[in-house]
Amino acid sequence: MKLRILVVLVAAVSLWACQPEINEFEPTKGNADFSVYMSAGNSLTAGYAGGALYRSGQENSYTAILANQFEAVGRQGAFKIPYIDSEDGVGNQGVILRTKLVMGFSTDCLGSTSLAPVPANPNATQQELAILLGTSVAADGPFHNIGVPGAKVTHLLAPGYASLNPFYARFASDPSNAVINEIGLIQPTFFTLWIGNNDVLTYAIAGGSVDAITPIEGDPGYGFAASLEAIIMSFKASATGGAIANIPDITDIPYFTTVPYNPIVLQDQVLVDQLNAGYTQYNDYMEGEGKPYRINFQLGPNPMVIQDPSMDVDVPSLKFRQIEADELVLLSIPQDSLKCGFWGSQKPVPGEFILTSDEKSAIESAVEAYNQVIANAAQNHDLALVDMNKVLKQGSTTGIKMDGVLFTTDFVTGNAFSTDGVHLTPQGNALTANTFIDAINKKYNASIPKVNVADFEAVRLP
Amino acid sequence: MRKQFILTTLLVMSFIALHAGGYQVRLQSSRSIGMGLTGTAMQMGASSMFYNPGALAMMQSKADFSLGISGINSLISFQKFESDITAETDNSMSTPFYVYGAGKINEKWSVGLAIYTPYGNSSKWEDSWAGRLLIQNIALQAIFFQPTIAYKISDKIGIGAGLVYATGKVEIQKGLNYGPDSYVYLDGSTSNIGFNVGLYFEAIDKLSFGLNYRSEIVMEVSGGDATFNVPAAVGTSIPASNKFDAALPMPANLDFGVSYQATEKLLLSAEINYVMWEAYKELEFKFEQQGELLNSINIRDFKNTIIPRIGIEYVYSDLLTFRIGGYYDPSPANEKYFTPETVSLNNLAFTLGLSITPSEKLSIDLSYLQIHGLQATKTYEPDQFGGTYETAAYIPGIGVSYRF
Repeated sequence: MKLRILVVLVAAVSLWACQPEINEFEPTKGNADFSVYMSAGNSLTAGYAGGALYRSGQENSYTAILANQFEAVGRQGAFKIPYIDSEDGVGNQGVILRTKLVMGFSTDCLGSTSLAPVPANPNATQQELAILLGTSVAADGPFHNIGVPGAKVTHLLAPGYASLNPFYARFASDPSNAVINEIGLIQPTFFTLWIGNNDVLTYAIAGGSVDAITPIEGDPGYGFAASLEAIIMSFKASATGGAIANIPDITDIPYFTTVPYNPIVLQDQVLVDQLNAGYTQYNDYMEGEGKPYRINFQLGPNPMVIQDPSMDVDVPSLKFRQIEADELVLLSIPQDSLKCGFWGSQKPVPGEFILTSDEKSAIESAVEAYNQVIANAAQNHDLALVDMNKVLKQGSTTGIKMDGVLFTTDFVTGNAFSTDGVHLTPQGNALTANTFIDAINKKYNASIPKVNVADFEAVRLP
Repeated sequence: MRKQFILTTLLVMSFIALHAGGYQVRLQSSRSIGMGLTGTAMQMGASSMFYNPGALAMMQSKADFSLGISGINSLISFQKFESDITAETDNSMSTPFYVYGAGKINEKWSVGLAIYTPYGNSSKWEDSWAGRLLIQNIALQAIFFQPTIAYKISDKIGIGAGLVYATGKVEIQKGLNYGPDSYVYLDGSTSNIGFNVGLYFEAIDKLSFGLNYRSEIVMEVSGGDATFNVPAAVGTSIPASNKFDAALPMPANLDFGVSYQATEKLLLSAEINYVMWEAYKELEFKFEQQGELLNSINIRDFKNTIIPRIGIEYVYSDLLTFRIGGYYDPSPANEKYFTPETVSLNNLAFTLGLSITPSEKLSIDLSYLQIHGLQATKTYEPDQFGGTYETAAYIPGIGVSYRF
């Protein structure tokens, strides 16, 4: 009798002893309809990274990650991306085309070799790259991700923009289209929009020397606010919901924070004296004119001498000065010119590699104004607002920990930014996607599953 | 010769799994396991050397040998917070064991040697699982050697003490954020000493009390091997081969038990264990090379726990004895520092036992322990990694005792 009880007990026990099941998470779409998702934006949306558009970069854009996660809450069908058929990809630095930048070893003018971004294929010819970029994939469209590298908010409304931007031309359904005309071909039910970075970035990347910051006021296609409104309205023709991200303060990104303002390290007093002697006339002139500018070198690190066309000095050839500690040096500055070409000491660094205090504050106030417009638009149109500005701010101060990964705005080692110092790594895109998901979940009372950022790659090292 | 062979086999097989709160494993007697892992206030012959050396003084036979082994099948399930990502461990069966031999010198004095495995943890996650940057797999093993002496003060009171020589081994592998194949593998071993003292007191007829204290033993690994698998580009700052120091405390235990011989056939046993997990404040790694970059202090801040236990033994016949028991073992882990390396939930456990006694001298003891780690959502805040965990373990055991 007792034995029988024991047998029953043991049997009951064995049933209980299987792998525990956890089902704490139930994906739900909340008040949103994710069945057809579409995204618009610039290079960040396109998946541009490491200075180029390439296949795996596009596959790991925050948009592609979102499309994948939206499947759990009802997204249907293929998410079409205008893939470029190359892993080395193609990007542009000014008018020069190049393959993506990967971490490799480069030897500088002093003969020392160090880890640095180098082209994935240094032998790729301009012609090959032009063909790669010029090959139309429009026949595979229409596309769900219409992020266009280089696009400003105003560009998305411009008919015939394809003739100005090959990154749009390669997937434009019709060359006379504006980018927003692609939206009607997809008829999305849900959209994401992250645009406006280039409206200041293009100005900033040129060191404030060319291009202009897009003004807030003005008609669609000219002013920021009206253009943004027009883009949102294009989406709202079919979409019942969406998310719009604001613009990070770009002066915190590694492109502007990696090269120090004072890289001129002097260890020889003779050299210090020679340099100072060379600037005696300059200092005398400035003193005579009652100007505050002085150039002075000492042992140790020194601020570089830079050109500044905005200086209030009568003699154009004297429009140079030493850089202030809060002014920024662009990552694009030729390192060899600094190390061996006497840039910053004997020769003023050209203004295109510098963001002066004035340029910086012009950018900062533009970003602030844009973000106000974006926040208003999110409220007026009842969209989720994704605070990417806050994310970057946190990354540049305390850093952000997520899933065991520490994100900072440090170049390469900060995990968030790719080898170009501007665009995101797959891991940075995963962080961005999770930030979008948080905002969307909150706005639409949805439960979209987040990704594990540790499943994505940071900057790949050799 | 044969005994030696068995002992060696046991040592080689020994691979101990977690599942008694933190990394303590209290599977030191089949009889005790059957009764909710109680034993402090029971006369358990040679097995008392672990549970209460004071009770060893009350040994009735001239000599007592006991050995046994358990097979821990432990399962951990995980679902990441706000996500549909799930993971399970793929733990191999671990086998804590015990070997005891004790004898009476005279009416007052008894001596013996106990070898047992009171701490361990073995969790193997998939290399690519969601928490790979925290832990991929971990194996802690500790074997304690305890020569013991006990003195019978009177027919009612016994005291005993043992010197513990502990040897331990640790292996840890965790992923690094330099790509999917990057990891660090740490491998170290160490030894240290501690003690185990106990008092056994038969207050009135049929009612006994036991008090036992087992000291903390800190396992300090010095010069363990660290292997880093990272891209060559970072090889200068992170050398592939390095040495590390780390320390892991095996916490002190204060056990108080009471047992009552209700009838000739029925024994009731209850006790509480106070486990001083507060000793586990942090896990610090120091590296011989590039310490500035690689050293880390990982906060654990465990808290002390109190484990209530209850057990019943019923002598059915001269041949058969049945046992049943249970306990509740609350998690010592800190809410903010809950890591997947030691998935320690609030555990609810029940136990069954059966002894077959073909002769007065020989007994074959079977036991079964099942532990259910109650589902809970926890985060390791320093890494912002969290999710819902649930665990289960089923642990059959067998032991043999021979006395004369």
